[in-house]
Amino acid sequence: MKHDGKQRLNLTVMALVSVYLILPLMLTFLYSLFQEWTSILPTGLTLRYYADLFADPGFYMPIVRTMIISTVPVLLCSLITLLAMYVVVVHHPRWQKIMQILCTVPYSLQGVILAISVLALYSGLPLPFSDRIAMLVCTYCVLILPYTYRGIQNSLNAINARQMIEAAQLLGCHPLAAYLRVVVPNLVSGITVSAMLSVSLLFGDFVVVNIIGGSYYSTAQMYLYKMMFRSGQQTSAMIVILFMLTLLISASVLLLQQQRQRNAQVKQEEADGIHTV
Amino acid sequence: MTHEQHPVLAAGAPPLARRRSPARNRMYLLALVPFVALIVTYELAPLLTLIVRSFIAPKTGVFTLQNFAAVFQKKLYRDAVLNSLNLSLLSAAIGMLVAFFGAKAADEATPGRRSLFMSILNMTSNFAGVPLAFSYIILLGNAGVLILLGRQFGIGLLESYNLYSFSGLLLVYVYFQIPLGTMLLVPAFQALRPEWREAVSLLGGGPARYWFRVGLPVLLPSLLGTFSVLFSNAVAAYATAYALLGGNYSLLPIRISEQFVGDVIQKKEFGSALAVMLMVLMIGVTMLSNRLLHRPTRQGAAHEA
Repeated sequence: MKHDGKQRLNLTVMALVSVYLILPLMLTFLYSLFQEWTSILPTGLTLRYYADLFADPGFYMPIVRTMIISTVPVLLCSLITLLAMYVVVVHHPRWQKIMQILCTVPYSLQGVILAISVLALYSGLPLPFSDRIAMLVCTYCVLILPYTYRGIQNSLNAINARQMIEAAQLLGCHPLAAYLRVVVPNLVSGITVSAMLSVSLLFGDFVVVNIIGGSYYSTAQMYLYKMMFRSGQQTSAMIVILFMLTLLISASVLLLQQQRQRNAQVKQEEADGIHTV
Repeated sequence: MTHEQHPVLAAGAPPLARRRSPARNRMYLLALVPFVALIVTYELAPLLTLIVRSFIAPKTGVFTLQNFAAVFQKKLYRDAVLNSLNLSLLSAAIGMLVAFFGAKAADEATPGRRSLFMSILNMTSNFAGVPLAFSYIILLGNAGVLILLGRQFGIGLLESYNLYSFSGLLLVYVYFQIPLGTMLLVPAFQALRPEWREAVSLLGGGPARYWFRVGLPVLLPSLLGTFSVLFSNAVAAYATAYALLGGNYSLLPIRISEQFVGDVIQKKEFGSALAVMLMVLMIGVTMLSNRLLHRPTRQGAAHEA
């Protein structure tokens, strides 16, 4: 009996928290579907606001810009970190500690400090330093570095990179070739998960793009911010669309993770319990 | 989660390549060039310049502490520091409280319910910044849905609620703290063994004794760690406050960015001092929570054992 009551209490707590968290989301969705909400219930069910958005040629560019600016830095950062990890893994294992510190610093800097310090340093300099888009891409690379590094490091921890490279070297392979052909393919699925997380982080960024991008590079978030002062319903529709896109990204992260776990399980069974993750 | 140090990465392991070819040239270092370039130009250089600049007098270029003194001399900026500190501490504390009970409930729930709850947390943790601020505006803003309801039914508290205030900001900040805090705490609860609770009850202790003597001391490191994450998360939050209030409410991140962008005359040295203050706040809370963790107490000894 006591156990029953406890389960009910737990369920109530979870339900209350869930309702509290979902309420603003639901409301935004409802708000985008009705023409007016000036009394208790909204009136005039319509999809007009979505239609208007899709008909507006100015709607697509910010979305495309957001997609570009949230993927290019992630690819760049993964590539740069992978190359650096080659030197650390193969040639200088002792540099591991410095690498870890350098890669975790941006996490404690947070967007606002990183963005203003970059802007303050480079905005007065001549091109190419003062190019806002280059500044934005590089700042994003640094911002997501902690996640990229963690993703690569965790995947490295799960495989025996040293043995792999040694084996390849015995067969006459250059260590770089061994790293790129043998180690990196084993890291890809782990890196993909952290990369997708970074993409969703950059997709929702407003701080850095507002400070550095300004009017030079107007993303979906900036477009949304300007729209807020025009039409409530239109803004709600835009929020719903952006949120759906974010959910798509996180859903793919979840799928990838599950697939990885399944693969790991299969591998583990193959390894017959020698290898514990 | 433990990150087991892999043999290949453990300090002291002999480097693979050098062993085979001691006289090989150092071409491999080229692979490090992009990384070093990125770190130096976009992490270290901006950060160091920011710190150095905060100690430099704007016109003369000599060393000074005046930039920091100015933060406390002007009410606008003193308020920014105090408001940011209050808002972050309060929102982190409330967020922690809800997260604690949320995570406890999730830990004790059936796996199906827990995974549904976790999905909701995961989903809503994406809802932040400008979209979150806007949805609170339609909920509780001047013509918000709940405000309309309040007017209709004569609920005074709702009718006269002002979202564009400290309490409004707090409400919105708590919203984004809850999913993050809960997701961080759920794994911590898994460290609590059911046997411990049984042991306490066998020795004649009730739930209160269990929580104060066993549960909370075991969870303490996670609780303090989560608190400092939530604090940093709030103290550096920019988008939500900016979308809700623009520059009309004094908060550190907003005042900092104003010194570097926008219509006000740029005051880089002063802005740098403000940014350094923000970093000091974040590092301070993290260090304080570490210090509390390693304070030698009887309970501390209990959970270290």
